[in-house]
Formats: sequence, C-alpha cells, structure tokens
Amino acid sequence: MRQESIPFVNLGIQFERFQNEIIEKFKQISSAGHYILGAEVEAFEHEFAEYCQAKFALGVANGADALFLVMKALGVGAGDEVITAPNSFLASAGAIVATGARATFCDVAEDYNLDPEKLAAAITPKTKGVMPVHLTGLPADMGPILEVANKHGLFVLEDCAQAVGARYKGKRIGAIGTAGAFSLHPLKNLHVHGDGGAITTNDEKLYQKLKLLRNHGLKNRDECEIWGYNSRLDAIQAAIARIKLRHLDEMTTRYQTIADNYWRGLKGVVRVPDRPDFAEGVYHNFVIQVERRPQLQEYLSSKGIETKIHYPIPIHLQQPARKWGHQEGDFPVAERQVTKILSLPIYPELTDEQVSRVISEIRFFYEAT
Amino acid sequence: MEVLNFLPNQYRETGALEINHNYLIEQFADYPLIFKKIEKLIQVGDYTLGAEVNRFESRFAEIVGTKFALGVGSGTDALFLSLRALDLQPGDEVITTPYTFYATIGAIVTAGGRPVFVDVKEDYNIDPKKIEAAITPKTKAILPVHWSGNPCDMDEITALAEKYRLPIVEDSCHGIMAKYKGRGLGSFGFGCFSMHPLKNLNVWGDGGVICTNDEGTYKKLSLLRNHGLINRDQCEVWAYNSRLDTLQAIVANHLLDKIAHITDARIENAQYYDQALGSISGIKVPPRSPDKKAVYHIYVIQAERRNELQDHLVKSGVDAKVHYPIPMHLQPAAKPWGYKVGDFPRAESICNSVISLPVHEFITPEQRTFVVERVKEFYS
Repeated sequence: MRQESIPFVNLGIQFERFQNEIIEKFKQISSAGHYILGAEVEAFEHEFAEYCQAKFALGVANGADALFLVMKALGVGAGDEVITAPNSFLASAGAIVATGARATFCDVAEDYNLDPEKLAAAITPKTKGVMPVHLTGLPADMGPILEVANKHGLFVLEDCAQAVGARYKGKRIGAIGTAGAFSLHPLKNLHVHGDGGAITTNDEKLYQKLKLLRNHGLKNRDECEIWGYNSRLDAIQAAIARIKLRHLDEMTTRYQTIADNYWRGLKGVVRVPDRPDFAEGVYHNFVIQVERRPQLQEYLSSKGIETKIHYPIPIHLQQPARKWGHQEGDFPVAERQVTKILSLPIYPELTDEQVSRVISEIRFFYEAT
Repeated sequence: MEVLNFLPNQYRETGALEINHNYLIEQFADYPLIFKKIEKLIQVGDYTLGAEVNRFESRFAEIVGTKFALGVGSGTDALFLSLRALDLQPGDEVITTPYTFYATIGAIVTAGGRPVFVDVKEDYNIDPKKIEAAITPKTKAILPVHWSGNPCDMDEITALAEKYRLPIVEDSCHGIMAKYKGRGLGSFGFGCFSMHPLKNLNVWGDGGVICTNDEGTYKKLSLLRNHGLINRDQCEVWAYNSRLDTLQAIVANHLLDKIAHITDARIENAQYYDQALGSISGIKVPPRSPDKKAVYHIYVIQAERRNELQDHLVKSGVDAKVHYPIPMHLQPAAKPWGYKVGDFPRAESICNSVISLPVHEFITPEQRTFVVERVKEFYS
C-alpha cells in the first residue's frame, strides 16, 4: 500500500482553519482602504508586546529588517563588530553587514545556541553588541550571555526569528536583552501571508527611534528628523498576525507535544535535541543529529517523508565570509553539527499517526540497515 | 469616509471631505475578484516570490520597455538596492533634487552615499543646466526625480551621464506609464518604482519595482533582494530581504489590466485643470511639453496665498494637499550638511507655493468643475 506523503511544511491546511476569519478581515481592510500602518498595525503591536511580556512592540517589513533597524537605532555602523552564531540563517549576519559593521562569530554549544563560555574570547575593542539566536525555537542561555555583555558594555539583540513564545527561565524571549527581532515569514510558528517582522523592547527611547526609522524618519507628515528607511508591517499582514496570535499558545503546545513524541521515540536511535532546564523551546524546527545523513534522507524521501537541513553551510564558510579570512576549523562545534543535523516535519496540523510513522521509519532505517 | 495617507493620524482631520485624494475604496471595489486569486495562492502556500511575481515582473518590464523588472519591498528599497548595486562607498556623492519625498534622500544615505542637491526648474524637476557644476570626482550617480509623474529632461541628463560615465538612477516612483519622447520612464538606467497604496499602480501594502536593461545588474539585484542566495544554501554576497510579496503581486497583476485606463483618466483630469486654472491670476500651472507624457500621480500647481487657498478648499470639501512644504536641504535631518535658506531658491519658492488637487481616475467631471469653481471663488 502506498502511504500518504508527509511534506515538510503544509501551509494550506492551516489556512483552511483560519480561512473565513482571514477573508473577512481582508474585506474589512480593503473596503476601508487602510493599507499602511494605522489601527490594525497598532493593535497587533499592542497585543504582541503583551504576549512577549515586553513594554513595546513595533511591526516592520521582515525579520532581517527587524535586526537591522535595532542595530541602526543603537548606532551600529562602519568599524563596529557584532557577535552572532555561525549556524544561524544568513540574515543574522546579513543584517549586521547591512549596518556597515562586521559580523563576528562565537561557536555554539550542543544546544545549537551561542556558547556563553566562549563569548568573552570573541569580544574585541570594536565589539558593540551580541546577537544570540534562539535557534530552532530554543532560547539561548541568556543569563550568562547578559552577564558577559553587561561587563563589556555591549547591547544584546535577541534574534527571535524562530522562537516566538519561547521562555527563558519562565520569561518570554524578546525583551530579556536590549531588544528582540522577530520574523513573521510564512514558515515561522507565527506567520503572515508574505514578509513581516516585529521588534520588542522595554526601552522607550529605543522604541521611539525605531518608530522614526521604519517610516522615513518622519516626526510628522512634513518634517524628517533623521534619514530613515521604509520598513513597515503591511496592515493586512498585521491583521493576519492578530488572528493567529490568538491561537499561538495552543499551536505552540502542539509543536511541543510533537517534539516530545519525536524526542521519546527517537532517543537512543539518533541524537535528539538538548532540553536544558532554563529553556522552554517552541520547536520551530525539530533538529536531530544522525549518522549516514544522505542515506537516511533519501530513505525517508522514498517513504514520502520530507526532511530539510537548517543549514548545511555555516555562515563563516559562506563565500562572503571567507573574504574575512575564515576557514574550516574556526568554529568546530558548529561545523561538526552541520554535517549531521536533519530537521523533521513539525507543524500543528501534523497528526500523531504521521509523527509515529516518521519515528518508525527512522528506527527501521537504523535497525534494518 | 476616512482618508488614507502614509501617516495615520493626519488623515482623520480631513475625514469628512467630499472630493478626496484617496480613491482606494473605489479602486478596489472589485476586491472579491482579487480574493479569488489570493485564496488560490494561499491554498498552495507559495508566499515568497514564485510564479505570480515572475508574471508581474515580465508584464511590468514590457510596459516600461526594459529587458528586466524585479519586484522589491518598496519604492524606497528600489532606490536603495539600485544604489547598493553601484557599490557606493562612504563619501560617494549622488546628485539629486531637494524637491522630493524623504525616501529619495533616505535611500542615498542608507546606501552609504551623500546627496548633493541641484536646484529644480519651473517644471519642479532637476535643472540639467545646473548638474554639471555639481559633478565632482566623488560623484557616483545622477538621481533625477520625475516629480508627480512628469518626466525630467532626459536627453540633457543622459548626455551628461554619458560624458561623465555616470549611471542614472531614476526615481520613477510617481511615473509609471509616463514617457519621455516615446520612451518609458524607468528605462534610462535603474528605473525605480513604488506601488504604495497611493500610487497610480498600487498594491495592498508596500511594494516596489526596479527596471533595467542590463542583465548583470538584474542578476546582482536579484541576489541583493533575497539574502544574497544563489540557491537555498549558498550565499554569494551579504544582502537584504526586500521582496515583493506574492500576495501583492496578485493585486498588482490585477491592476496592470487597468493601468492604461487609470493613466488616461488622470491625464484627462489634469488637462481639464490646466486649461481651467491656467488663466486664473494667482495660479501658476507648470510648463508642459509635447515631448513628455506626464501621468499625474499628483496634480501640482503653484498658488499665491497657498495656505489660505488650501484652507478654503478643505472647508469646501476638497482634499487639497501640499506635497511638500519643506525642501530636503532644510529638513532637520539635513542639518549636519550645513545647508541654509537661499541655497536652492527655486525649490524653496516651490515648497512655499505648491498645492495638489485631487486628480485620480474616480474624479467626475462635476467634481473637477466644483474644484475649479472653488479656486476661482477664492481669487475673485
């Protein structure tokens, strides 16, 4: 019997669930003609700030812009350095370079996040800040990171692109450091139907500056206080984010349940993710480490199970970073992980049966071959 | 009916007007048709780039008359990415006009450049005769702004660009479908367009386009808008995220079918205004040229006692606006560059006297007659 395939993502079924609400909202917005900023965006910002336990939130065009704008607002520019993780998505380093600064890296620990013990050694006199990435949806160990950062007078910008709703020692990520940058890209746990992003912070001055920067630096219609950018969350996307935010906790619980099933089902067969005491992850990705990865991936694919690698080439070994003199061996933990990591399908609509099937196929692969 | 502008708070003041600048409700009265296409997209789940964006890009390139068009996040980003593609270094200069929207200057500064202003002519566009004096060894580009959708003097600008081997980055954000001697605006170098909700071709949020004839430039821009990725896993250059949303490409494709009509209706309204207002003492209509097909994103004229006229019109229910009262060199953000009042006298006097009248395609003959009557009444 040919089994039904299990795609890595399935946005269609999530839409079916929210279809009526979303279409209704679209109608409202297009019949009122309010497409830029305005009430929907403000309401989203208010609700998102509350959700993230932050004083302020600001909707922006995408997650990369969220990182970029915060650093611009903090005065990062040419000659500066910002430290981030070499195993993140490219946008983390790209946003640093976009400010004119240079991205520098600190190796990660077994939980895929910045290794606080190696952080101090990565700091130079040019370092202005640290950008820990809550990769896969698991919070980085913020306590020791903040300690090192504070000691050196560095800002801490949390890259929360994959981690909306995650908690570090009981507190939501996003305003634990100086600010948090979120992505609402269609593949994220909280997502919209195009590009979108958000920034969270408790710092009112920073918030006010960011508000100027995302909208041409305009303090009113006719006066430009600082030369800024155009990076706004579309009103229709804000409306979609609001609909989904109301269901986020429930969706997160489902992500966690699936992760827990994978974890128990695969423990001892492959390397399952760390579950440090300080963190409550939201499993944007469920990443395992495996032997014979290409063969496993091919086997699963032959069974209709789609898997991905996030990401096969660490940032410091990407073409433009090699120009800074990086080479293999610079960040051994990240480099070792990238040869073994594999992301399994995980989304709220994935059924228990589908999860069991993924588990048994992986078990079968290692037991039978 | 509320009126939309790019800042949410100020349009509430003009909420009760009869003849508005905003026309979004009318323009998207057929939104169920667009929803049908969006629903399909959402079911497929293909939200980033993809077929609908490709289709829009090839249609847009055809309209402008370039080999390539690339959908990006906004008009601002179109300018910024074009300048980034030129690899500006700190201290590099870009020649532009002080009579423009903030985004022109913001994009130059973001790309690492320094704007060098050249005064405008009577038609509100950069004065080509004054450009040469502003060129220095640091000049890296000329950035003319086709204000209101009225073409700049492209023959003169192109000649200078060739003489000094400078690229042209056209701020065509107002100028979709406009033509200079039969050639599409946005086809003289980097053509930068905005599809902000208040533009002639508009989407349901922010969106922009860059046009070019150069394949190398097109490839470079394709990398710059999408994290520098040559495939899913490999990055060739440090870059940005600035994509036209697929959902917005659907809206844009829908409107491309109507853009010829939108443009013609605006031109007809503008020609009516030109004729009816041109003879009023107190009003100065800018010179028009048969070489230039202007598309009137806004209908701008100069008026004596401008602020009083604006009050009078608003009180009469006409949403008259000022685009914009303060030139770029006198903005608070320009302070570090040390400009002062008197540096660009034409731009300054224009900012003190311009007024914009509603000109969009839903203005009826009765409405435009009403507008003209109110202006006449003010000066009588």
